[in-house]
Amino acid sequence: MLAAHRLLGEIIASLRNVIAPAIPDPYPKAQAYMAAVILEFICQQVEERHDIAREKERTLNGLFNDLSAVLAGTELPESNDPEARLCRLIEWLYAEKERFGPEAFAAANRRVREALRQLLDQELKVAGKSE
Amino acid sequence: MAETAQEKIAAYLQGKLPQAKDLTLTQFTQTAGGWSHEIYTFYAHWREDTQPVTRALCLRKDPGVGLLRNLSDLKEQYRVLRALEPTPVPTPKVYWYEEDPATLGGPFFVMEKVEGEVPNPWSKVGKQYYAEAAKRGQLPRSFVEALAALHNLDWRAAGLDFLGVPGPGTDFALREVGKWESLIQQSLRKPEPVLTEVLMWLKVNAPKTQRLAFVHGAYRTGNLIVKDDAVAAIIDWELQVIGDPMYDVAYVLSDLNREGSPLLSCVVEREFFLDHYQRLTGLTVDLEVCRYYEILYMMRSTAFWLSASGLFAEGKNKDLRLARTTYSVPVVLDMAAKALGF
Repeated sequence: MLAAHRLLGEIIASLRNVIAPAIPDPYPKAQAYMAAVILEFICQQVEERHDIAREKERTLNGLFNDLSAVLAGTELPESNDPEARLCRLIEWLYAEKERFGPEAFAAANRRVREALRQLLDQELKVAGKSE
Repeated sequence: MAETAQEKIAAYLQGKLPQAKDLTLTQFTQTAGGWSHEIYTFYAHWREDTQPVTRALCLRKDPGVGLLRNLSDLKEQYRVLRALEPTPVPTPKVYWYEEDPATLGGPFFVMEKVEGEVPNPWSKVGKQYYAEAAKRGQLPRSFVEALAALHNLDWRAAGLDFLGVPGPGTDFALREVGKWESLIQQSLRKPEPVLTEVLMWLKVNAPKTQRLAFVHGAYRTGNLIVKDDAVAAIIDWELQVIGDPMYDVAYVLSDLNREGSPLLSCVVEREFFLDHYQRLTGLTVDLEVCRYYEILYMMRSTAFWLSASGLFAEGKNKDLRLARTTYSVPVVLDMAAKALGF
């Protein structure tokens, strides 16, 4: 997802440089410029949602701990970025499906999908208009 | 010296129509739709042997960096439309393809502007238009017949094998997954684990193609010109392939294309669509295979939205409609996750 400040900056630029100059009627033109000014103030008030990042981190740490147990101590792929690590882990699980056998794969995949649902629910707090 | 797009296009047409006298363009409009191409519609008027001539035309231009990035090929679209001209598939007639960027800054082609309308199925007005047409009954029938005409087409005889012919078995499905994965790789700005799971599932569960057909790839209302309650032309030829006809059927069946409407593609009853399609094509709709392709479409939509928001983030396109798609990524991934049971 694009950062909120970046998006607000682009909307302000579009209001000032694209939308307002194209409006011939003075009243809506002034409204468009004023919307840009107000958005600049709002930009100072807005903070990215740290609760989402914290929840995601908790979900990912829990998953990596649980999977080590599910896969009986097998060493999991590593990466500095936890979400990149999860992507590698998913690819690795599918690639090693035969070696793990159907039951272990199903158990690991079920736990991965549980975590994916939790990650998605965090993203949907912003994108899904459900909160 | 031609300066505006209108003047440049008029000069180009004059070069193509040396016999035309007093050539002018009217109602010159750049349409708002189309994220992959710039689209201009206009009327060209001229005199030929003292007789006045008027043609409604549409020009489709490569903008340089479009939604599909390197996966969009304007020349291929032109060749497809040219190949379809003598067939029963309703399409606009194409006139000229121009590769030289000196004229308009990028390749383009000129085609007939088919008379009719393209109501937007995402809008309230468009939904109402299709719902009323559905009650009258002729447009749903025409919707199915145009799709059947596509799938019944002898694509080899039409010379469409230049699009690439998939091998037997799962080759078609895996090719499509690979194509959209490449767009994702060009666009991705951060890891997307849910998308990785969807991609891996698609690779492991690819269905076998029972029969190859010429497939539009985005057959829905909004990509059809409608006149007198019938499909006057199928448009938006950008995603066509030789592949599994169930790929198009799945797109019609998909919830992605009806946003709350009880009608498939906002215009046709599910049972009628399945019955009429199967009767016209002799194919049996495999709902399990269609379910797979519906999930593939969710992945493809995610690829589109990642590409769109990526173009915006990279500063290659300042259209705010592209920025808005950043919020569509989790929503479509949520649909895919639910379809996969999580």
